[in-house]
Amino acid sequence: MSDSILPGREPNPTSTLLEEPGVLVAKKHHLLVRWSHWLNLPILLGLIVSGISIYWASPVYQHKPDSNTGNVDVAADIGIWMCSHVPGLHHYSSPPDWLYNHLSLGSGMLALALRLHWLCAYSLMLNGMVYLAGLVMGGGWRSLLPRRTDLFDAFKMLRYYLGLPFAKLTRLKWPHPRFNTKYNALQRAAYFSVPVAGFLSVTTGWAIHKPMQLHWLAALFGGYNAARVWHFWLMWLYILFVVPHVILVFADGWDTLRSMIVGWSTRVKRPEFTTHE
Amino acid sequence: MNNMAKIYCADHEPRTNEAAPSVAVESVSAEKRLGLFEERPLPVDEIPPRVLRYRTRRDFLFFGAGALAALAGGGFLLPQDTLRRMGVRRSVDSPAKEWFLNRALRIDDDVAEALYSGNRRVPTYTKSQITPLNNNYNGATPDPGYISGWNLTIDGLDSGLSVSLDIRNLMTRFSVQDQITRLVCVEGWSAIAWWAGFRFDDLLRAYPPMSQAKWACVESSVNLDESGNPDPYSVSIDLATARHPQTLLAMHFNGQPLAVDHGAPLRLLVPVKLGLKNVKAITKITYVAEEPRDYWAERGYSRYDGI
Repeated sequence: MSDSILPGREPNPTSTLLEEPGVLVAKKHHLLVRWSHWLNLPILLGLIVSGISIYWASPVYQHKPDSNTGNVDVAADIGIWMCSHVPGLHHYSSPPDWLYNHLSLGSGMLALALRLHWLCAYSLMLNGMVYLAGLVMGGGWRSLLPRRTDLFDAFKMLRYYLGLPFAKLTRLKWPHPRFNTKYNALQRAAYFSVPVAGFLSVTTGWAIHKPMQLHWLAALFGGYNAARVWHFWLMWLYILFVVPHVILVFADGWDTLRSMIVGWSTRVKRPEFTTHE
Repeated sequence: MNNMAKIYCADHEPRTNEAAPSVAVESVSAEKRLGLFEERPLPVDEIPPRVLRYRTRRDFLFFGAGALAALAGGGFLLPQDTLRRMGVRRSVDSPAKEWFLNRALRIDDDVAEALYSGNRRVPTYTKSQITPLNNNYNGATPDPGYISGWNLTIDGLDSGLSVSLDIRNLMTRFSVQDQITRLVCVEGWSAIAWWAGFRFDDLLRAYPPMSQAKWACVESSVNLDESGNPDPYSVSIDLATARHPQTLLAMHFNGQPLAVDHGAPLRLLVPVKLGLKNVKAITKITYVAEEPRDYWAERGYSRYDGI
């Protein structure tokens, strides 16, 4: 992205000699968008660790009882496998709980996990509304909407990312595709899908939390059991999103990370005065 | 477009007077060209570096304080066992934490109560959709010996009397209703089963509770803990739920009289609540004005449990 912008400094003819020239900054993120963005971090983390503890009580993915251990839980199998194959884990006291003890609050604490899950779930819903309010107030929602050219542009971005390591190794010139928009097509797809996933997590959550009063909602996702599966896999979507999200923010640079804290960016596009004069 | 107008103005006029007129003029023409869904260019401002430095410092301090608060708050809320595994030795259990987490649970219960409607029926299924239902006694399964001498005691009645009914009484007294509904456990699993029994509502009509009563305390004195010692089980059921047309006192399971596994000879079937409210082998029902004790609420679960 760094090639599509110029260092934002416009000499100010009105400034006196004593005054430093002003800095041009583009307002990128509304205050409410920034707050809710960061609040998602502890809330989603709380939801995931308590959610996996809840999953422990009745795993979605089960098989016939194991002839030796009587175990039915696939996640417990993974723990058992890890403890017998990964060096250093051989003496782990409870192999079936390994995964739960490292990815969740722990096994055997359903009541605690449920309380934390409700607390975080209501927080997520409130936070989602704050985020939407910020998008509307700052006008940022327009930058997230998918558009017709997105498919083609997404391919251009994919091609760029796939070729980047090779280009770096061979010192080949490999310019970042140029876009005239706040986000490129891949970013837009990601930043649009995450709030949609959030909405689906909330609705599948309600479907399995209140399957009688809201049975129509459960039916919408294919019934109570199917809604549980949806709810489980939506969690993985956030995890899948966060990894490249964090890597790319650091790759893109300080300005991008800072803009989510302070709201502005100094990567300002020089306006084309001629078209308006 | 606004930002360009602003920059244009900044070139010609003092910054103190950010020339609203020309912005307005520009934006009128801009709005004509841009559709509602069309992306606008980011608004650009010119800010003295001094102000920018101040704002940056302020925002980063806020951010840092928020991050620390989130870390402290998250750590405070985590269960002791989890923290111990993370290497934290200090005890974080406190009345404030309990109060806070119970508050979240209470809010969720209030939402559940607001969602409840006495007119809304839960989905029913066909016999081909029936799924297996295990014996889900939390402790040991009671010895069937209790069944021969079994009777149901009802207290807190309008008449001021205590009533005792045996299973023959109940079977002949009330009309039986068949129902294939889903039982949903707090753990997440569910089972579709075919039940038959009489409506709790019919019992309430036959033996009206005292006028102040808002709750039913439904108990089983034959319940056992894991090592087989007596562990009386009791749950709170609000009378609105007890009167729901699909709340049954069930005597049959999948076409057979209830087996010990499923709470012979009489169990509560309340599909609008979590499975843990569906008391097996009921021995006593007491109508009370204040919310009675609840076995699982005392163990950290919610009280209302409406689903």
